[in-house]
Amino acid sequence: MLLSYIVKRIFHAILVVIVISLIVFFSIRLTGDPVAIMFGAGEPSQEAIDQLTAELGLDQPLHIQYGLFMKGLLTFDLGESFRSGIPVMTLIAERVWPTMLLAFGGMVVALLIAFPVGIISAIKRDTFLDFGGRVFSLIGISFPNFWLGIMLILIFAVNLQWLPASGFEGFKYLILPSITLGLILSGVLARLVRSSMLEVLNQQYIRTAESKGISKWVVILKHAFRNALLPTTTFIGLQFGALLGGTVIIEQVFAWPGIGRLIIDAINQRDYPVVQGGVVFLALVMVVVNLIVDLSYSLIDPRIKAGKGK
Amino acid sequence: MTESVLQVKELKLGISNGKHKIPIVNGVSFNLNKGETLGIVGESGCGKSLTSLALMGLLPPGIEWQDGDIKITEQSMKGVSHRVWRSVRGQKVAMIFQEPMSSLNPVFTIGNQIVEMIQSHNKMPKEEAKQHAIHMLKTLGIPRAEAVFNEYPHQLSGGMRQRVMIAMALSCNPDILIADEPTTALDVTIQAQILELMKDLQQKMDMSIILITHDLGVVAEMCDRVIVMYAGEIVEQSTVVELFDNPKHPYTKGLLASLPKIEERKEYLSSIKGVVPTAGNMPGGCRFAPRCTARHEKCDVKPVLRNYNDQSMVQCWLYSDN
Ligand SMILES: Nc1ncnc2c1ncn2[C@@H]1O[C@H](COP(=O)(O)OP(=O)(O)O)[C@@H](O)[C@H]1O
Ligand SMILES: [Mg+2]
Repeated sequence: MLLSYIVKRIFHAILVVIVISLIVFFSIRLTGDPVAIMFGAGEPSQEAIDQLTAELGLDQPLHIQYGLFMKGLLTFDLGESFRSGIPVMTLIAERVWPTMLLAFGGMVVALLIAFPVGIISAIKRDTFLDFGGRVFSLIGISFPNFWLGIMLILIFAVNLQWLPASGFEGFKYLILPSITLGLILSGVLARLVRSSMLEVLNQQYIRTAESKGISKWVVILKHAFRNALLPTTTFIGLQFGALLGGTVIIEQVFAWPGIGRLIIDAINQRDYPVVQGGVVFLALVMVVVNLIVDLSYSLIDPRIKAGKGK
Repeated sequence: MTESVLQVKELKLGISNGKHKIPIVNGVSFNLNKGETLGIVGESGCGKSLTSLALMGLLPPGIEWQDGDIKITEQSMKGVSHRVWRSVRGQKVAMIFQEPMSSLNPVFTIGNQIVEMIQSHNKMPKEEAKQHAIHMLKTLGIPRAEAVFNEYPHQLSGGMRQRVMIAMALSCNPDILIADEPTTALDVTIQAQILELMKDLQQKMDMSIILITHDLGVVAEMCDRVIVMYAGEIVEQSTVVELFDNPKHPYTKGLLASLPKIEERKEYLSSIKGVVPTAGNMPGGCRFAPRCTARHEKCDVKPVLRNYNDQSMVQCWLYSDN
């Protein structure tokens, strides 16, 4: 049962990765010819151009190029950077840690904010506190990532000089980017926690729990919250893509040496292998995270057996 | 002299819109004696559930306690703190609900939910609480009690879940058990078993039961005394024998007339036309008058609940001269 489910999910994951690889493969080729910018301002001879094109394998028909890319993917060989000649796998390996750290930090900040805000909003429904929580969510949802990032840099790095504004040389450097990413995500998340809590608090089993004479907080944090966690977990799984997308922008704002910046720089330089490798790698991460989230449902809700859906 | 475990005096529960208080439960008074089973009957919407929730301090948001008093084992509950209510819930008054499907938390095991309750009222180690929980499950006639302890609600049938609910409700040895339509959602055979069990345990544990139902058959089976509620008021209160032998209020008579006789098998149960009026749309005089077949001029003035004989009280002009 579980095994056939996992097989199905892996098949699904492969499909997703193939589609993404196709999209990135063709769209990066729409940005222009890498050979042209690799010569910079110089006036290369046609011969030199042809030679470099052949070296990079760009003289091959597209289907052959794609085939080679996919073949490399199967053997975990993503080719080498056009620019530096460093294997793409090495470049990704160097950058993966900062990006994951940032995504994790953002998620932690988002949860730390969204859970209390959402829960308090729900139990203090239609009071001043709830109103505050909802305004907070709205702000979180409607403000663009980069704007908030820049504001935080201005306040905490430039004016107060408490925290570094850019780079990655230690824990301190993680704080501002994580808060920026987390704040953005916490808006939607708090709203979701609130609405899930409101729904759960109306259930009969909450009244049962109250009738037992246990403390109010046990009713809220154990009986209600555990049930509200299910839709929240689904959401976190679904939002992981948005979170990774968010890191790409945050990495730009904070000069964060992660995969997002690697990809953006590579796009600017038309460094095809790096762009392809980076994007496919992010897609893979997302697919794996979604699988883990799916499997974790059955831990949260005993009614759900993995693979049987909700 | 019988010992009283619960006294409800002129209880008013309702909503308020701006400055106006609109009572839903409108001045209800009754007594519950030790070891007694008191039935509360009436169509749905009469305020039976609200009254019982008030006895646990669990009024739904928006409903307020407007007037009157509730005394549980001599202690007045008017305006007491959350902490006092907590000590009452489960320990003095326990409650089971209509829907055994949704009354248990789906994400925790049966054992977890019972042990939690036991430990919140009794300082005892987990193992001891567990043994007590299993003992309660066995008392309720649940087969494989040790296994059920580790199971989740969805793994049990409706009847078993209701047994679990009762086991939990009785786990802290309450003085009063409120059962709000405890068997309505169950099929007839299981209903009979559960009622039998409740009766049995009541004797063993010397507890009082408030049984809310709209099934007069269940009342006849289970209760010592009955309260008939209509539109938030008590219209008749009497011993079970008196209620069935000599019903007084036209509403009570209507309810009895709609009791399905086995020979007849009526499709429609109700022999009373119309519906229960809602709060805010209450008739000025007798609240039942618009639906009453015995209505006369006096009914435009509100009657009061009066003693009819030493076994019954009724709120109707037919039984009152002035
Ligand atoms: N939370 C609430 N807010 C407003 N009105 C309510 C609420 N709960 C119940 N009522 C109203 O109170 C009346 C009595 O309800 P209830 O006690 O549940 O009736 P019963 O249990 O006798 O069927 C009904 O008319 C119902 O609409
Ligand atoms: Mg009810």
